[in-house]
Amino acid sequence: MKRILIGGIGNVLLGDDGVGPYVARLLAAHYEFEEGVEVIDLGTPALDLIDQLSANEAVILIDSVHADADPGTVLLYRKADIMRHAPSVRMDPHSPALVDALLSAELFGVAPADVLLVGIQGESFEPSCSLTKTVKASLDQLIAEVMSELDRLGVKHCRRNQPIDLGIWWASEEQLESPVAL
Amino acid sequence: MANRITIDPITRIEGHLRIDVEVDNNAVSNAWASCTMWRGIENILKGRDPRDAWLFTQRFCGVCTTVHAMASVRSVEDALKLQVPLNAQYIRNLILIAHALHDHIVHFYQLSALDWVDVLQIPKADIGATTKLAESISPWTRNSREEFQAAQDRVKAVAASGQLGIFMNGYWGHPAMRLSPEVNLLAFTHYVQALEYQRKALQVVGILGGKTPHIQNLTVGGVANAIDLDSTSALDMDKLEMIRELLSEVVRFVNEVYFIDVCAVASMYPDWFKIGKGVNNYLAVPDLPLDSAGSSYDLPGGYIMNGNIGGVHTFKTAADKDFRDGVSEDVAHAYYHGDKPLHPYKGVTDPDFTGWNGDQKYSWVKAPRFNGAPMQVGPLAQVLVGFAQGHALTKKYAVKAIDTIGAVGHFQVTPGMLESTLGRHGARAIRCAMLGELAQKHLGLLIDNVAKGDYSVHNVPVFPSGEVEGVGTHEAPRGTLSHWIVVKDGKIKNYQAVVPSTWNASPRDASGAHGPYEASLLHTPLAKPEEPLEVLRTIHSFDPCMACACHTFDASGRQIAKVKIL
Repeated sequence: MKRILIGGIGNVLLGDDGVGPYVARLLAAHYEFEEGVEVIDLGTPALDLIDQLSANEAVILIDSVHADADPGTVLLYRKADIMRHAPSVRMDPHSPALVDALLSAELFGVAPADVLLVGIQGESFEPSCSLTKTVKASLDQLIAEVMSELDRLGVKHCRRNQPIDLGIWWASEEQLESPVAL
Repeated sequence: MANRITIDPITRIEGHLRIDVEVDNNAVSNAWASCTMWRGIENILKGRDPRDAWLFTQRFCGVCTTVHAMASVRSVEDALKLQVPLNAQYIRNLILIAHALHDHIVHFYQLSALDWVDVLQIPKADIGATTKLAESISPWTRNSREEFQAAQDRVKAVAASGQLGIFMNGYWGHPAMRLSPEVNLLAFTHYVQALEYQRKALQVVGILGGKTPHIQNLTVGGVANAIDLDSTSALDMDKLEMIRELLSEVVRFVNEVYFIDVCAVASMYPDWFKIGKGVNNYLAVPDLPLDSAGSSYDLPGGYIMNGNIGGVHTFKTAADKDFRDGVSEDVAHAYYHGDKPLHPYKGVTDPDFTGWNGDQKYSWVKAPRFNGAPMQVGPLAQVLVGFAQGHALTKKYAVKAIDTIGAVGHFQVTPGMLESTLGRHGARAIRCAMLGELAQKHLGLLIDNVAKGDYSVHNVPVFPSGEVEGVGTHEAPRGTLSHWIVVKDGKIKNYQAVVPSTWNASPRDASGAHGPYEASLLHTPLAKPEEPLEVLRTIHSFDPCMACACHTFDASGRQIAKVKIL
């Protein structure tokens, strides 16, 4: 049994930064995965992410990114792309704990062999419990990238006949009334 | 002519903190601490159900999730005068302790040790000498030649590859680095081992809290854990035994490794007991309640003004009237509108961004004050308050630390020397050892109480019509945390969180008084101002956590100036 982590990273109180936890819950509600796959809302981890990384052979992370791209653009980063970044903390409000955690895990020899960051360029990071329309419009594509990575890893997955409760407790009523088309 | 150095940001976990210092004759002559980002997350809570608030506050920060959840439920319970069943108190206490054990270990090894440990000296270490040194100071069985050799080989491989990875930004070879290659190797080996034990501490949080990083078991009025010693779907004897085993391993690591390493490193840097004192008003709240009403506690609270240890004041409860009445927030130098300090119940968060101006407004952090004075919070404050009150457990481990440092370093250590940069590290190790002992005590209390047949975990909250207000406090790993809630007709009318790093990273107030970070940096000598390692040492000793905000991956790859000299 392969141990695979699908983790959503972000702060659900800061607009599009909440995309990772949102997608993690969408995936858990709409899909079933083979044994060994864990889908987690990771929130905004710092170096404790090392523990999550080291416990798995492959990791797929979903997070908003700053990449000088148009809002809603889906961008993929492999392990080497992430580790190319300097581990210093940056001036902008977005912590590179992912970089630090991965570099540390690599140093200690416990990093997973496969890491894919499925990123999406956010539009608004103002305090809010909703995703912007722009980011929501790209969620299908984002989820398709996650599925295609699972295929590449040879991990079985299928749609649930009956989706389970999303459990998105933070969302506004307006947001829950117009869930993403899946 | 003074040079201005800007370090932005300084914390190794999550950004947002900026430090500006003026340097005159290779010493800091003036300092400003500022936060570069506005949060304003509290506004999201207005109008919501107070019973849900903890789910939201748990997302303030990715590192301090549990503490914000706990302070939140306590604030609502205080507003409703709602008691908490004994089992719930013990379960909460165990979660808080396990979280703190994890946090303190991570702080020392992952965030601070490399301010003192020069990784690139490790290849020069003699394995035999390292093993001998280790055996002379600790019974830790993993201080073996094999473990030291493996750690050294790992560093050699990294150094040879030229890809320093996580060590890319260290100030290696800095003249202020003074450990022998053997002590560097010893500390680094434990840095690797620490990963295993910090994970075990988190497992305890996970077993009791249902999940990490966000615990699921809290509820206003208690906890949602089902207790049944014979049912595997509830908190049963197997799980309690698992917790006991995990805690005993973590506690052994704390006592035989972390505590000893802090003392050993401190003994090699005696001058750092004279640097970094700063604001010597200290504040801590009582925590780890021992009864349902919250009238007795295992951790003492109170305050000390102007370093007058003998004149310590005591808080009888976690929401003591003196504390409740004494807190205000000043915005004279913060980017908010407002002309006078306000009590948190009346707190207003109305942004007025002007850009950084050291003489006027320069930070997004408000300036919390207690009876009008800046206060230092954190393990040092807690240890000093406990020591001053004659608290037996505090004295036990404070004396042990003082004796250990003195024995390894061959110099006399006095309690007053704790008021320093190294003293803050020492106090954190003292507190961590205290918490280790208390973890085992509270597990015993829980098991004994359940054995009596008490399975109660929750009292139901009832919201009155009209307005009530409450404060929930927690003596968190970084110090005094308080959540202030005003509830009107069952909905949240106002919510303010005054967090430990706000106390310590506070800007100046209207009277011009420096905050603790700022004051602690004054007169610090800098061996190489272009590599201000000494500033980092003092700031890191406070364990900053400014984050509590966005977490996105910066994929643009731009190299942002870490240190700028104007």
